[in-house]
Amino acid sequence: MTGRVIVVTSGKGGVGKTTASANLGVALAATGASVGLVDMDIGLRNLDILMGLENRVVYNLVDVIEDRCKLRQALVKDKRHPNLCLLPAAQTRDKNAVTSDQMRELCEEMKKIFDFVIVDSPAGIETGFQNAIAGADEAVIVTTPEMSAVRDADRIIGLLEARKDQIEQYRLVLNRYRPAMVQANDMMSIDDVLEILSVKLLGVVPEDEDIIISTNKGEPVSGTDNTRSGLAFRNIARRLRGEDVPLMDLEVKSNTWINRLVNFFAPVKA
Amino acid sequence: MQEVKNQVMNWLSQFRHSTVRTTAKDRMRSMLTHDRLELPAGRLECLEEELMCVVNRYFELDKTTTRFDLEQEPDRKASLIANFPLLRSKC
Ligand SMILES: Nc1ncnc2c1ncn2[C@@H]1O[C@H](COP(=O)(O)OP(=O)(O)O)[C@@H](O)[C@H]1O
Ligand SMILES: [Mg+2]
Repeated sequence: MTGRVIVVTSGKGGVGKTTASANLGVALAATGASVGLVDMDIGLRNLDILMGLENRVVYNLVDVIEDRCKLRQALVKDKRHPNLCLLPAAQTRDKNAVTSDQMRELCEEMKKIFDFVIVDSPAGIETGFQNAIAGADEAVIVTTPEMSAVRDADRIIGLLEARKDQIEQYRLVLNRYRPAMVQANDMMSIDDVLEILSVKLLGVVPEDEDIIISTNKGEPVSGTDNTRSGLAFRNIARRLRGEDVPLMDLEVKSNTWINRLVNFFAPVKA
Repeated sequence: MQEVKNQVMNWLSQFRHSTVRTTAKDRMRSMLTHDRLELPAGRLECLEEELMCVVNRYFELDKTTTRFDLEQEPDRKASLIANFPLLRSKC
């Protein structure tokens, strides 16, 4: 089997890389694919918490690379999702514990076992980022519609463009989208961000309190019905599998076309 | 159809007041154009001044309506738009 290695990256911290990695892992596994999640945020381990697997971590990625255990031994199986495994990050080491070559080799090994290998990356554009993208065939860039996050995403796009021969495609996930604020003209819209970054869209995830609840429970939202963000992540997973899924309806309902016209011409707010 | 829609929206936008959203978008666009070119602040103004001096040796300029800007192009490229309205030749 040869799977696809997809790195989830952003430049800026706190925009939702780890949340997206966990949710795409669960959603892809639910479609029947086998999925290996790799936590590359060495020293700041998080993905195990979001997955609710923090008590089952024995070995980690650095143990595998330094030959203290076999890859299979380090993989934590998610009992709720039989075809989903996590390769946790080391918590007490730093980014320099791994080289790009070692990471590339590890991804090759993972690809033999899984249909999808999802790599969660650290913030920044230095060593940690370079290692995280070393073995990737494809990238998912996560950003929020805020200016500093968009600027960092653009930086990442520039770096990915320079590795076109390795990274075949990259697409954008716009996270923490707030339709009401966009409709009030207080925030950039989906089209604004896409136009500015000139990048392909993979999906939009609304701002949603259920994400915080699900993190606290250790069960990613994409595994729960009746959540807006969960549906958004499931749609993204289907798009990753090549399905043509339209964007979910994000518009705030009370907004009639007359309102929208009024908003379009709205005066500057103080 | 999309083309027509864009044109209508563009035409309509001249009647629109600026909003937080358009301010953010304009700032963003200018910021990224500078980032991509690795252009330090003030460089563009410097070039404008120099160019204006050169053109000014040949023409009298209407300095109130000059335009000197970077514009975003597809594929992460940018172009320089310069518009120096001329009043008369100097020789
Ligand atoms: N769509 C969303 N709605 C609400 N909160 C979110 C959303 N996405 C992420 N968050 C919250 O934002 C914070 C940062 O998310 P995280 O995935 O850890 O970011 P990163 O891995 O990029 O640093 C977390 O507290 C998370 O719960
Ligand atoms: Mg993270």
